[in-house]
Amino acid sequence: MSLDRRSFIAGSAALAAPLALPVQVFAQEKIVRFSLPQDFTRIYTFVTSEYNQGQRDYFTLVNDRGGVGGYKIVADITDHANDLPRAIEAYERGKREGAVLIDPLSTPVARALVPRALEDKINMITAYSGRSDAADGSAFPYVLPLSINYWTQAGLIIEQFKKTEKGSLKGKKIVFVHIDTPFGKEPLPILNVLAKKEGYELAAFPYTPPGNDQSAIWPQVRRARPDFVIFWGAGVGQTVALTEAIRNGLPMDRVSGSVWLSESDMDVVGREAAKGVMKVEPCVGGREPKVIKDILADVIGKGKGAGPENKVGTAYYNYGVQMATLMVEGVRKAAEKAPNGPVTGPWLNEGLRSITNFTADGLLPPTTITKDDHQGGGMGRIARWDGAKFVPITDWFSANQDVVWEEIRKNSDEFKKTGK
Amino acid sequence: MDWILLAELSTNGVFVGLMYALVSLGIVLIYKTSGTANLAQGAIAMTGGYVTWALATLVGVPIWLAIPAALVIMFGFGLLMERIALRRMIGQPVIMTIMLTLGVEIMLRGLLPGVFGAAVKRLDIGLPQQPLFVGELLLNRSTLIGGSISLLLILLSLFFFNSRFGVVMRAVADDQTASWSVGIRVERAIAVAWGLAAVSATAAGVLWGSTQGVDWSLSLLLIKALAIAILGGLDSIPGVLVAGVIVGVAESLATGVLDPLVGGGSRDVVAAVIILVTLLLKPHGLFGRHHIERV
Amino acid sequence: MFYRRAGIRHTRYQDERQLFPLGFDRGLIIAVILVLLAAPFLFDRLYVSGYLLPWLIWTSAALGLNLLMGWSGQIHLGYGAVMGIGAYGSVHLVRLGVPLEIAMIAGGLLSATIGTMFGGAALRMKGIYLAMATLAMQYVVDFVISHSSVISGGSLATLQVPPVRFLGIPLQGDLPTYYLAFGVCFVITLFMLNVRRTSFGRALAALREKDYAAQILGISTFRYKLLAFWVSSFIGGVVGSLLAVTYLRAISPDQFHIELSIQILAMIIVGGLGSVLGPFFGTALILFAPIVLNNLLGAAAGTFGLSLPIDLRAHLPLMAYGALVIGFLLYEPLGLAKIYANFRNYLLVWPFRHAQR
Repeated sequence: MSLDRRSFIAGSAALAAPLALPVQVFAQEKIVRFSLPQDFTRIYTFVTSEYNQGQRDYFTLVNDRGGVGGYKIVADITDHANDLPRAIEAYERGKREGAVLIDPLSTPVARALVPRALEDKINMITAYSGRSDAADGSAFPYVLPLSINYWTQAGLIIEQFKKTEKGSLKGKKIVFVHIDTPFGKEPLPILNVLAKKEGYELAAFPYTPPGNDQSAIWPQVRRARPDFVIFWGAGVGQTVALTEAIRNGLPMDRVSGSVWLSESDMDVVGREAAKGVMKVEPCVGGREPKVIKDILADVIGKGKGAGPENKVGTAYYNYGVQMATLMVEGVRKAAEKAPNGPVTGPWLNEGLRSITNFTADGLLPPTTITKDDHQGGGMGRIARWDGAKFVPITDWFSANQDVVWEEIRKNSDEFKKTGK
Repeated sequence: MDWILLAELSTNGVFVGLMYALVSLGIVLIYKTSGTANLAQGAIAMTGGYVTWALATLVGVPIWLAIPAALVIMFGFGLLMERIALRRMIGQPVIMTIMLTLGVEIMLRGLLPGVFGAAVKRLDIGLPQQPLFVGELLLNRSTLIGGSISLLLILLSLFFFNSRFGVVMRAVADDQTASWSVGIRVERAIAVAWGLAAVSATAAGVLWGSTQGVDWSLSLLLIKALAIAILGGLDSIPGVLVAGVIVGVAESLATGVLDPLVGGGSRDVVAAVIILVTLLLKPHGLFGRHHIERV
Repeated sequence: MFYRRAGIRHTRYQDERQLFPLGFDRGLIIAVILVLLAAPFLFDRLYVSGYLLPWLIWTSAALGLNLLMGWSGQIHLGYGAVMGIGAYGSVHLVRLGVPLEIAMIAGGLLSATIGTMFGGAALRMKGIYLAMATLAMQYVVDFVISHSSVISGGSLATLQVPPVRFLGIPLQGDLPTYYLAFGVCFVITLFMLNVRRTSFGRALAALREKDYAAQILGISTFRYKLLAFWVSSFIGGVVGSLLAVTYLRAISPDQFHIELSIQILAMIIVGGLGSVLGPFFGTALILFAPIVLNNLLGAAAGTFGLSLPIDLRAHLPLMAYGALVIGFLLYEPLGLAKIYANFRNYLLVWPFRHAQR
């Protein structure tokens, strides 16, 4: 938790920005302002500080190298504590200061901001949160998940199970243990459709949020004698689920989570005990990718890091970097199309929605955002915990996108009809 | 009907319930002596978990020493809380004390994660994780051990009430004015009740922290603890034991039987329904004493 | 000089009984109302839709709860659920094509009906027990809303509020939503100011002081306890639908959890139990203290290089929220309204303090 002073001043220039006083640091240069109000204190505590640290480190890297397309990135960071009045205040403040992009990293907040963002034409990033049907760019032009949504993740996991079973899941039993919130129930439609298609039997076990006590769920899971288990939650629910799975003696190599599983969860569960568990990786983890190495050398190495160094390269840190690279790539594309701006929501939107085959030097799967597809192609991979780190066991792949898109269209059509 | 599953759920429910009861013990102790409802009990349990974790990880004290040290620290914390905050509330309406303890709850929930970091902390007190099969029944070792420790502590508190100081506290619980007049220091008894409540909360926080990790969600133990306290009768310690087992088993069975029917996690709502039903049918709980109100 | 009393002579009983006998008070209130009415043209959009709008809505809710807690002394820890019922009721009706005006009233009635069931508990118990019962009901309502997909709205559990009109004006943009919230808050405030001058208000006060005694005086505790819950829940329901339509625009179950109940409770405690003015102050403090603190910390970090770990910085507003509640209970249990009253009393006779009665 120790930050040296110099690095914090640099980082906190961004933190100061929410104040009414305009920040002078980048006053002479052309800037693109991002607003990053996120939940540091309430529900999303498990991910936010690492995610945000990754974003800030990457922005520092970009700015130190002279910006992108002639623009520097300014990121305003505040805490909205998953509280709507605070989030909406932060949104309005960001808008007034000229932010063209907002990343709230919270499903309830994202949902409340959707109508506002569409109305004000401000790009809202809803990575791993918000509405899954926002992948349909025609219905939500200014809501950009830029990442694989939960339906796609469920599709990927089922595909992996199918591969494990040599191509057929007929007669197999898959148990889906999930937190009992809208987020936890989200994959159910996809899993049900796939159950019919692939012929497996699906049993769902919901647990009460936030999932700190699941001792009554897992005996049932064990007694259902599943071939595979998917557990779906976040934060404390994940670690408790894993602990209980271990206690109930389930074979770990047949258990998989969503993208919400990180090294620190494994520390809580016990690194050795959790060996074998799988997760979906939306981007490369660890410190190998070039971007992370650059950050280590040019940002952390020079004492400009936004947080503790040992967090660099953890799963959620890399998610943050992943999102930051996509945002910056959007700016680059936008600057290519209209070098002199003006920097507005639609300007950046053009850029973000023309990202093609972008991999950020090997950090992401090839990602292509189009006017229709805001998900970026639906590529991910499965990784397995080997006791020390997550090791990918597949290449980037996408699966069951037809089913996923059917569900996306169904929901976005509903939104088109009643929303707006 | 899957009888083995039911048997397994009930056994585990008993022990989980005992672990809840440990949180509840503090609420009952405080209500018994001072007549205030302590809604900060969950957050105090969380604080206890954090303190133990900090001693063990940040200071580097071995865990067998860290736990007693944390218990002592938290005893002091309880005394302090009573002295600074609760004592000023004597004579104020009920809503004031309820709100005060809620305020403490909110503050602790901000303070501890703020100082020690919000990520889930691992608190390893050496409870084994491997499954333990008895016939076809799987017993959860950590809840088994945790529940037994809770049982022991609650029984201990029963014995405590037969000690000299325990008798003093019972006298205070009976009639504050009368105790005062025979020379009992009422404030001290209440302060000790708060201290002991914090100690039991800490024990619970450590046990729960070791099974689920330490973070803010430990403060959610409050609602279960309240259900137990209400069901047992707010001023009865044996009530805590019985009600703890009932609530634990009810929750566990509800998860097994009710969840598939309603299609959702009915666990929290079971606690709420138990509170409601108790209050409507038998407001003073199974073992609680009736109050006679005079105009 | 301020709050001048000299020269005010009432010649009719009505005059003395009016809400604000002092001319200065009347002038102050008219000035505040005028500023609020002109706010969208005076202030930046950030302050109108980021501060004033939630302030008006939350204040209305706090006033509704204050009727129950401050006036009739019944504890209620489930007000968020009551608001949720109103919000869901009215949004569903609006989606079915019912005009908003009717939907809001219907949402209020639905809340009132279910809220009176909360009140049913109050007939049997009070104090801590009532607090626990209402707390439990909050959980039950949350559970029902989030687990019936018919209510919560399908697999995404988000109900979008369709475009609506109020009295023919489309509720889009800042102006109409702000004025609707202002109107509702104004009506509720007016009601609250007057209710204590009615027999209903006096009955509630008697109930608060001692319900047995009130019963002996011939006040039906059965009737008035339920009535208190009915009226307060009706207000809660209307405010819930106002919140959904003008502010949230898309509702999901987690917006009406126990946190909302505690937040509103904190507002009336900090503002002052049983005061009309209090909730206005309390809401402002509870809603905006974290935001302001957050921004100040950001500024401090920027200008003075104040280095706080991000976790600590992010949690400070939560600590401040708790500390505010504790601090007020310990040092000014009557809340900000009392502080204002002290200030006003001081100025009433200023500069001749010795003249104070």
